[in-house]
Order: sequence, then C-alpha cells, then structure tokens
Amino acid sequence: MKKVLSLFLILFVILVSCTKENIQEGLAVLDEEEGDRLELDPQLFPFNTLSSYRFFKGQLALQRPVKGVLPYTPINALFSDYAHKLRFVWMPAGTSATYTSDHDVLDFPDGTVLIKSFYYDRVQPADVRRILETRLLFKRNGAWEFANYVWNAEQTEATLDMGGSHTPITWVDESGLTRTVTYRIPSQAECFTCHKFDGVATPIGPKPQNMNSDLAYSNSSTTAQRRPQNQLQRWVQEGYLQPGYPKRISTVARWDDPSEELTDRIRGYVDINCAHCHREGSHCDYRPMRFAFNETADPVNLGVCVPPDDPLLPQHTFIVARGNTARSLLHYRAASVDEAERMPLLGRTLVHDEGLALISDWINSLSPACP
Amino acid sequence: MNRTLLLLLFLALAMPAAAQNSCATALPVTEGLHTVLAVDGDALPGNNCAYGNGDHAEWYSFTSPVDTGVVISTSFGEEPTDTRIQVYTGACDALICLEGDDDSGDGYSSELDFTALANVTYYFNFDDTWSANGFPFSITLIPPPPPPVNVIDFAGIAVPGMNYTLGAVDMNNDGLDDLLDPTESNVHIGFQQLDGTFEFVDIPTSAADHPASWSLCVGDLDKNGANDMLYGAGDGVTLMFANEDGTAFTEVSYDEYIFCQRTNMVDLNNDGHLDAFSCHDVDANVGFINDGSGTLLFQQGGYGETCGNYGSVFTDYNNDGLMDLFIAKCGCDPEDLLMPNSPGGVFTDVAPDLGWNDEHQSWSSAWGDYDNDGDMDVLIGSSSSAQHKLMRNEGNGEFTDISNISGVNSNDGQSNEWTTHDFNNDGWLDILGGDGMLMNNGNGTFTFDNTVPYNGPIGDMDNDGYLDILGGGTIYYNQSTGNNWLRIWPVGSVSNQNGIGARVHVITNDISQIRDVKSGDGFRYMSSLLAHFGLGQATTATVEVHWPSGIVDHLENVEPNSTIVVHEGLFSSTEEIALNELALFPVPATNHLMVIGADLNNRMARIFSSTGQLVQHGVVSASTIDIGSLASGVYLLEVTTPKGAVKRTFVKE
Repeated sequence: MKKVLSLFLILFVILVSCTKENIQEGLAVLDEEEGDRLELDPQLFPFNTLSSYRFFKGQLALQRPVKGVLPYTPINALFSDYAHKLRFVWMPAGTSATYTSDHDVLDFPDGTVLIKSFYYDRVQPADVRRILETRLLFKRNGAWEFANYVWNAEQTEATLDMGGSHTPITWVDESGLTRTVTYRIPSQAECFTCHKFDGVATPIGPKPQNMNSDLAYSNSSTTAQRRPQNQLQRWVQEGYLQPGYPKRISTVARWDDPSEELTDRIRGYVDINCAHCHREGSHCDYRPMRFAFNETADPVNLGVCVPPDDPLLPQHTFIVARGNTARSLLHYRAASVDEAERMPLLGRTLVHDEGLALISDWINSLSPACP
Repeated sequence: MNRTLLLLLFLALAMPAAAQNSCATALPVTEGLHTVLAVDGDALPGNNCAYGNGDHAEWYSFTSPVDTGVVISTSFGEEPTDTRIQVYTGACDALICLEGDDDSGDGYSSELDFTALANVTYYFNFDDTWSANGFPFSITLIPPPPPPVNVIDFAGIAVPGMNYTLGAVDMNNDGLDDLLDPTESNVHIGFQQLDGTFEFVDIPTSAADHPASWSLCVGDLDKNGANDMLYGAGDGVTLMFANEDGTAFTEVSYDEYIFCQRTNMVDLNNDGHLDAFSCHDVDANVGFINDGSGTLLFQQGGYGETCGNYGSVFTDYNNDGLMDLFIAKCGCDPEDLLMPNSPGGVFTDVAPDLGWNDEHQSWSSAWGDYDNDGDMDVLIGSSSSAQHKLMRNEGNGEFTDISNISGVNSNDGQSNEWTTHDFNNDGWLDILGGDGMLMNNGNGTFTFDNTVPYNGPIGDMDNDGYLDILGGGTIYYNQSTGNNWLRIWPVGSVSNQNGIGARVHVITNDISQIRDVKSGDGFRYMSSLLAHFGLGQATTATVEVHWPSGIVDHLENVEPNSTIVVHEGLFSSTEEIALNELALFPVPATNHLMVIGADLNNRMARIFSSTGQLVQHGVVSASTIDIGSLASGVYLLEVTTPKGAVKRTFVKE
C-alpha cells in the first residue's frame, strides 16, 4: 500500500515537473497565447509583494512572464557570488526606449520596469532551485527607483524589503563542487552605490554594446524550437525600442568566450564588473582607473603600469604590472575576500575563480615589464 | 664603456662564490661585485624589513674598520632580476632591521645605502619573495653622510604571536599600550609587560555580525572600568562590551545597514556618557547615543547627511570645550564637513562658510596644534587628488591655507591614513601619511622623511617614551633618543572614564602644547588613548587637564619621562582661587539663579541633579542662569573658569 502510494507520488511529481520546468538563464520564454498584455499604473509602485505586479503567470517561482514582459540577457553580467539571474523588461503600452549611444544605457520611457531575479540551482539539502530575491528598477517621473523583493522559503511569494539582509546558502555548482555563501541581499543604499551616475540612480546592464547579441526565444522552456534572434531587433519588433539605431554597434566581447582576444575579454569583464564605480560620475571616480568599455582601448585606463594611489602592500607597484600578477594591485583585490580589500566592493564575497583566471592570463600575457 | 660591457667585465673578475645559506654562516663581503647563484638558503624566520617574507634567502655580512657609507645594488643589465634586500644589525639570533629595499633600482631591482659604523657587523640578505634566480650585486663605499638633523629612526622587529593588529591601546588599565587584534569570533590581545614583551591571550566571543573589517575604536562605554570595542564593517557595526575585568565580551550588533568607514567614541552630547559614531560611505552618518545605562541608541542624521564620508575625527577646534566633528570626504560629495558642536550635541557644518567645500579627495585628516599657538590646525591628507592641505587655525574661527609655505607637499605620496604625533619628542607635532613622515621643524615648515614605515596603529610598545608604529606582525620601534617626554593618562569620573574629549595642556619653559584625547583617528586603526607629549630638553612641566565636565586639574613642577595619571578633579584647586566669595541668590531660587560675587558672564555653566545627572547646560548671561525648566529639588551648579571649576549647590523651589 505504501509502495503504491509512493509510486503515485513519483508519477505525480514527474507530471508536474514536465509541465512546469524551471526557466534557465539565457533562455527567453515568451507568452504567445492570445490575451491582453499586462498593464500597470507605476504611480502605485512599489507594491508590497512581487505577485501584485502580475509579471508572471502560474507559479511565481517558475518566472514565466506574461504578455508584455520581455526576457533579456546582456552579453556580460556582473559576478554575484555565482548566483544565476533572470531578467525581464516591461514598459507601458505604446512606449519604447530610444538609443543614445553604444555605451550609454538605453533611454527608457517613464513606467519602465527592469526585473531581475537571483537564484541558485541545486540548493542543499533539498537539491532544488531557490530564488533569493527579485530586484525591480522602475522609472517614474523621469527618475529610477528601487524596489527589492525577498523570497520566502516556500518560494511562493517575495515581499518588499529595502533594509538589506543575509541568507546562508549551500549549493552544488555545475562542476559538482559544493559551495557555501552568506548571500547578501542589498539595502536601498547599497543598490544606489552601484546604480549611481552623477548622483542619480540608473540601470547598468542594458546598453546597446551589451545587448547587441542573439538570444534564444521560445514559447516553452521544454521545446527545442528555440529561435535565436538579435535582442535589439526583437525589442524593436516588440515595440520596446525605437528603430533607426546605428547598424554597427561597438559591442563588448564575452569575457568567458575563449575564442575572443584576451584583451577584448578583459575589457568586457571589467566593463560589467568594475565600470559602474570606476568611470567619471560614479562612486569611485576619484581613482585613476576608467573601466568602461568605451574607455579601455587605452591601456592606461585599465591601470597598466599606473602606480596605485592606495597600494595595499608595498609590493603593489602598479595597478596592473605587465607580466607580473604579484605586483598588480588589481589581481590582489580580485583575489581577496577581505571586505576592506576586495573588488568589487559590493555584490561579491567569494572569489570569482574564472574571472581571476582571466585576469591572471591577461596580466601574464602583457610585456615588457613596466618601467 | 656601456653598462653591459661593464657588467661582463665585473662578472669575469668577480669570484663566483656561493653565498651562504644562513645568518650564522653569512659570507663576509667587501667593496666590489658579487654574485648570488640562486636564492635557496634559509629565510629569516618571521622577521623582515619590508613586508611578507620569502621562503629562502642568501646571507652576507659587512664590516668596516672606519665609518663609511655603503651602497648595495642589484641594478644590472637590461632586465635586472626582481630582488629584495634587507640589512640588519644585532646578532643572528636577535636581528634588528636597519633598512630594506625592494624596487629602488632599475625595473624591480634593489638599491639602498646605509651608514656602517666602524667595527660593527651588518648582516644583509636577499630573499626569494619575487625570484629565486641568481643575480650580480655590487657593494660600493661612499663617504658617510653627515649626521641628519631632526633624525627619526624606526627598527622593525617581528613579534612572535602578533598578528595583523588593528589597535595599540591599553586594555588592562596598567598604563601600557597593548596589541589588540579582534577577529570575527576572537579577541587576540598582547598585554605589554614591563620588560617590553607581550603576554598573549585569546578571548573567544560570539561571531560578530559585523567584524572590524573597516575600522576599530575603543573606550569604556558602560563605565565599568574595562574598555569596550566598536567594530565597523561594510554592512553595519557591532559593539563588544567588556565585563568588569576585561576577560569576556558581550556582543551588541545593530541591524541597520551602514557602510562603515571610520568609527569613533566621543561624548557627542556632553552628558558624561561616552557615545559612539560611525561614518557612512553611502548615506547619512550615524551616532549611537548612550542613555547612561550602557544602551546606545542608533541615531542617523545630524552629523552630515550626504554620502562620501570616510574619515571622521573629533576635536575641539574652536576651544569652546566641546568636541567638534570633522569628516574627510571622498568620491560621492567630496566636500569635507567641519561641524562645531553646540550644547546638546547639535552639529552644524561651517565648512562652506570657510571656503572648504572644494573637491579635495581625502580619507582622513590629522588635527593637531602644529604651531603650538593654542588651537588645533589640520592637515587634510590627500588620497588621490595630489595636493595635501594644511590649514592653520587663526583662533578666531578662520583658517589660513599654508600648504605651500609649510612644505607639506614635499611628501607627494597619497594615502588613506593620516595621523599626527610628536614622534621625535622635540615638542612639535609630526605628520605620518603619504610616502612617509613630515617632520615638524618648529618654524611653520616640515621636512619630508621617506624612510619611515607605513602608517598603522600607534602607541608606545616598549614604554620608552617614544611612539612606535604597528604593521602586520611587526612593531616598528622608534629609536629616537635624547629628548624628554611626558604622557598623561586621564581617568574620568564625572566625565567619561577614558577622558575622551579632554583637552590636555603641557607647558614648558619655551612652549605650550595641547592634545585632545581621541578614540579613533586616521582611517582604520585604534591608537593609544594616552596623551603623549615630547618635551625637547625641558626638565619640568606644568600640566592642565580640561575635562569635558568643565573640571580642570592643574599640576605644577611635573618631572618628565613618565606617565602621569590624572584622576578627574583630584588636582582641581577650586578652594584656592579667588572665587570663594561667590554666592547664589535667591535661596531658594525660582526661575532665575543670580551669581553674585564674581564676573562669570559667558562662562560655561552645568547643573547636576542630586544623583549626579547632568540636567542642564549653557552659559552665564547677565550674571543669571535660567532654571525655569528644572523641577523642584537640590542641584549642583558648576561654572567653568580658566582657573578651574566652581561648584555650588542651590535649591530650586
């Protein structure tokens, strides 16, 4: 009797999981059924719960967007302690973003909501996906505002919380390695620290240089019928981007694509991981580095052979010492987990092993030694 | 002859002697070219002149029959080997670092010079921190330099058991600075012994929600006789309250998010209870107000409302007896704040009125009376805007920028830490930061010395009267000698226990010096709470301690070269001053209290309840104090005068 019951349970679980597959990072599942698109009144934001927005249909944790909520994936993403991210954009009907330049964030219309959920797969002990937080950046009366939603343990709802908190997580990564982190959900002030340009809040990722790539669009997470399409073109098709932007866009290289040039990969890496603080008008613009992609063609802006203002140890002769990681402060900070030494300052408590390996490879490829 | 040819010639002539592998078997060398075949000998355990420690080293010694200057260089060839040199005096089992160099030669090669005294053996080694490859090095003799004026000299000695240390502060009330190294769930303390050694203890704590990763400060918040700690982390602060004998700590963490930078302890509202403070990088700064029962209430706002706050420091710059707040700012909104404190702990920014709202990028500032004229001047050290600013306090609320004429920018290094102490005990405050130390010449100018160690916690770690610098597991002992000194240890009763906020005057024949007792200066560390004074050649001093309570203690004919404990009020001589005719009227008083018998107008007045609680403070005006808001009862009035505090009881109807 017990056995039979277990069998039924297993069958039930299989059935449910077949129809309610988790959406993966990098796959855009769309709602192509007939029906009205989502309409919202931004003047009522922020709601107390994530479900109140009705961005997703069915189970909230499955993150299946409703009509009008468009998934997107930037070419490079900030390292956030190995968390995966799902991103969506919603705009009011009849409005669209406009192109400013390759390296400026798209000029979004009032009412735009950028939605980003942070999750880990194979979270222990249950070995399941767990979404930790969903961050909203919404634009109202010309200004961006933050709304951060923290998920409950049951994964049924996320609740507005701007105070910041910690969540301990243990998970098994793609290589089978068990990792542990005390994941930091940021407070409003922490959000603003990175999302700040000339003293006002701004998105970071959705720049043409970082969006000019193909994404596999699909109407199901399980189907093989994925249709790769350029994201900017798709946005135009969806009415979310004004047509007429330049055909040629100076585009970042994927930092983790070994077929790309090392210099292009490092430029892509520091652009998304460092430039939000290290460019003019940002949190740490008083230091000499200029890490934005449109500024790093000049190696001086990457800190190559530039003495640091604040050498943590006397050995740190240069921000980047050509051919010498031990003399490079950039390498030291990327390898550190001490919160007063590590870089980036926020959003990371673990070492990004793959990013650090890229930094090492790049520094070691440089010659001759700095004078 | 070009360099390569010269090198080849030397290599051909030089005896390729295998260098020796330990200090005990160091190879004596003289002037000429020598060759290290490979760096594979014994590293010096734990000790070094610079930082870190290679796994291996090669050892040499040098002895000269006469005084001589010696240059050691590994700077040969187009791409010289990446080397590091360290020179020691003393015996092999007790080496004292004299000097070290990493990169002064071409590329990453090394070059240094030192003065070898006649018949003294100097040991030097090359370690393999950077490379184990062999290389040539030269020894060149040069005339010994003339003895430097205003000399400052530090000897680095590794201390077994000492970790990376955040604090140099007395933790067991013996008047000796201790090594303080709190980590997430442990407090590692090295108690200084009378013989200069350290007795280490580890006190386990609960795992602090917010460890002291950005800053540490220390003070007795609950007045139980043992110092408590404030940890500053990137996401908030934790208080660690010590029990009465300092053998255990109880954690009180705050949930509120603070991107903490500098922390401080100070009596913000001058109610006799020590409060705490945290700079906030990305939001308004936070005070923690002590309610007198050891509970500190989170209070955000009122101490600078915008982001970019890095180095907070409290000092009484306008000589009104209250600790004012200066914040060195950087990045977001880099306009520094200068906020005089008014009664009740109200801080108002006057920096814009003074024209200080420039875009100077700074992480800390060093406040001290650099010209010994009785008021606090400030060096706002640059972190990345190239120029340091030295502002002379004119004593009338105005400051004059003397950055250029003072020569402070001869130190063109940038740093986050800037502190001031009298390191050579000549009676004039020196400045540590940037690439070294600015030695105060006593005439409004400074001479730059780049041979000193990096900034760290500062205290007297061998009780020799000269301030030492901590770095990593090493103490850089200040070797300067010849000048007298005096150290004042304030013990508060009405005021806070540590006398934080006390203004200490030391007057000798030729000069009058002042210090404000501070918990938290520079950017990260916690330095000694004792007020340290260099006296030059003076052999007697007058000491005055002006307490936050208004009480003044006065000591005459103090002999130098010791630590003087000043208990609040013990040396207060109110009976003797010519105010004994002073009377209060009417009796009992109603809404106004008249002061009769002396002109005390504009003097600070405090009123304490019969239980000793400060209930009102203000100034005497038209010989009257308004007491309309006091409940009926018996009170103590205390009026501060230059000669001390006058106390009288009165009855409110």
